[in-house]
Amino acid sequence: MDLKLPDIDYAALAPILVLFGASLVGVLVEAFIPRKRRHLTQLVLGLLALTGALVAVVLNAQDRVVTAGGAVAVDGPTLFLQGAIVVLAGMALMLIGERSVQRGGAFVAHAAVTVGSPEDQRQAADEGGATEVYPLTLFAVSGMLLFVAANDLLTMFIALEAFSLPLYLLCALARRRRLLSQESALKYFLLGSYASAFFLFGMALVYGFTVGAGGTGSGGGVDFGTIRTAVTDSAASEVLLFAGLALLSIGLLFKIAAAPFHVWTPDVYQGAPTPITGFMAACTKVAAFGGLLRVLHVAFSGASWDFTPVLGAIAVLTMLVGAILAVTQTDIKRLLAYSSVANAGYLLVGALVLSKDGLSSTMFYLVAYGFTVLAAFGVVTLVRDADGEATHLSRWAGLGRRSPLYAGLFTFLLLAFAGIPLTSGFTSKFAVFGAALDAGQSWLVIAGVLTSMILAFPYLRVVVMMWLSEPGESTPTVSLPGGLTAAALMIGVVATLVLGVAPAPLLDLANGAAEFVR
Amino acid sequence: MTGQAVLAAAGGVTGGEQITFWILAPLALMGAIGTVWARNAVHSALWLVLTMLCLGVFYVLQSGPFIGMVQIIVYTGAIMMLFLFVLMLVGRDASDSLIETLRGQRIAAILLGLGFGALVATGLWRALGQADAVGLEQANANGNVQGIAALLFTRYVFAFEITSALLITAAVGAMVLAHVERRRQDRMDQVATMKARFRPGNYPGPKPGPGVYATSSSVATPARLPDGGLTERSVPQILPQRELSEEDKALKGTEK
Repeated sequence: MDLKLPDIDYAALAPILVLFGASLVGVLVEAFIPRKRRHLTQLVLGLLALTGALVAVVLNAQDRVVTAGGAVAVDGPTLFLQGAIVVLAGMALMLIGERSVQRGGAFVAHAAVTVGSPEDQRQAADEGGATEVYPLTLFAVSGMLLFVAANDLLTMFIALEAFSLPLYLLCALARRRRLLSQESALKYFLLGSYASAFFLFGMALVYGFTVGAGGTGSGGGVDFGTIRTAVTDSAASEVLLFAGLALLSIGLLFKIAAAPFHVWTPDVYQGAPTPITGFMAACTKVAAFGGLLRVLHVAFSGASWDFTPVLGAIAVLTMLVGAILAVTQTDIKRLLAYSSVANAGYLLVGALVLSKDGLSSTMFYLVAYGFTVLAAFGVVTLVRDADGEATHLSRWAGLGRRSPLYAGLFTFLLLAFAGIPLTSGFTSKFAVFGAALDAGQSWLVIAGVLTSMILAFPYLRVVVMMWLSEPGESTPTVSLPGGLTAAALMIGVVATLVLGVAPAPLLDLANGAAEFVR
Repeated sequence: MTGQAVLAAAGGVTGGEQITFWILAPLALMGAIGTVWARNAVHSALWLVLTMLCLGVFYVLQSGPFIGMVQIIVYTGAIMMLFLFVLMLVGRDASDSLIETLRGQRIAAILLGLGFGALVATGLWRALGQADAVGLEQANANGNVQGIAALLFTRYVFAFEITSALLITAAVGAMVLAHVERRRQDRMDQVATMKARFRPGNYPGPKPGPGVYATSSSVATPARLPDGGLTERSVPQILPQRELSEEDKALKGTEK
């Protein structure tokens, strides 16, 4: 038997390979560079690698290829989402690398030290955080880049694991409130493995469904082309298709935090170090939706009549759960977590529209939301007292008097979340709902508009609290951000404004990219 | 190789295969339930070994000898044994709390689990009841191991390479979460060690061995000091000290 290696288009894979290589170098840096210089080295390495990956994505802009034996598809949506992930990860990396707001950064120095012991108090006070977070972040980003490019379910599964595993670890490394952080990591890990198991099970059933498609006697496959053919002409029972798709969707919906698979979200968002929360809220969402879009558009588009009602119901449920539970929250990170659940619902509305408009508006929404949410978590890292971040909502009362600038920025971001015109939140919701209306999914749009109105209430409550209350004894101070946080914050706010005022260039870019190779 | 590979005739289920399945399937199920049910972590792990062994046999039965052997050698042999070692090292007495934090959660979980299981089982039964397996002979045409290798190094070569990222992440994660680095100023040099050893309050000599009695010579029995009292230093700290009865402790007339 002679094996022929498949042709691998290394240029098309360059963004993934650059980040993967940089994370390996990062691991070596941990081993060979003295502790004092590691933070700077890792940060510079990480930012350089992300820049390199972005350059590679831009250079590939015209690529529409399927490579590596059919496992990886580099096409418009892939490149658009890869670019989005890399830019957002760059912002997140700036928040991760910030060390001037809190001495030593947001991460614990030695995660194995017993919580609350004298040793722990000493390291919380004056030791620099673990620098392993940088290679772990880069591993996660390279996994995400592969996830949005994966062209068969097996590669997709491995990419899913490759970007989840570092996230589970990063969640456990908060400097303050470490028990909460460890609990959140454990919850995320256990539920995440469970969701991965569902994904695998679904993959097995779909494989069973593809067997025998396109002529009898041929073996099946889990690449999206084979699945697409099988959906139209497989002789196998459709139970396999529907059960398989349902189980696959559970794995993906878990990652995008759609109800009823969202229960991990508030706990994990609250417990994880805030820069990591922002990273998850922005980049994981882009990656997970990228995967879901490809699965729905490329592999299962033939079954859209069957899955749209079910996923539509999930979208409505997600919007409702996110909006209603956001009203009852008393912690700013939990509030943003439920808001991210509701936004997953709006995104699902776009993802269910299997047209070019649906695809491009969903991709636009992902980018706009990513910028806003990262900036919002950037502000959360700044509002702090002696014990670290002051996340309880009551503590934010009167913040507008204490520091009008940051309260003003946060107000703007909240208005963007609420979808007020002249912010990116408005344009992106408008685009997604417009696409859904065109496709005749008005019930989803009605649910979306209604829940947006409910969801505006918790945002406006925070705004009122910040501006119309008197600052009390316990109102925390807003730390002066270091250069990195300030840069990330500014990028996020400016992007939110620009995408609200002049969305046309990015919309055009998304439109031009909105075609999968099949 | 091919003779071994085609253990199960494609298209039909032979009698031997059926008998093996009906013997091992309940065992595998029992192992899985035992894994969840067992209070003791070591018992849990051993139940899991049972399930994995049964699964390994199933794979072999279904003409996947390689994956079957890997399941037994790597999972059952290496990973589970490593797991057991870790359990023994960490200490197996960590008891889990049996208080339900959410009321009715266990009942609800059992009901939903059974419901889900029934749903999937009936679905699969309806879908696959009459289906015949196809493609088995093509897949094993050049031998089972060669078939897997051909897939791994052609179609899934990129996925195969990316698993290395997973392994590296796992290794880094284990170091980050479990490794405590000792600070340089905490390390003691020879002089400091000696000073600590002869500091007042510290007994510099070697520790006494365990006690030897007529009724017990276990390592858990404390030795007796010249003044008749028992010394805890003679028993390893991790062992519970053996309780000695008054009769054991009483002097046996050697003072005469």
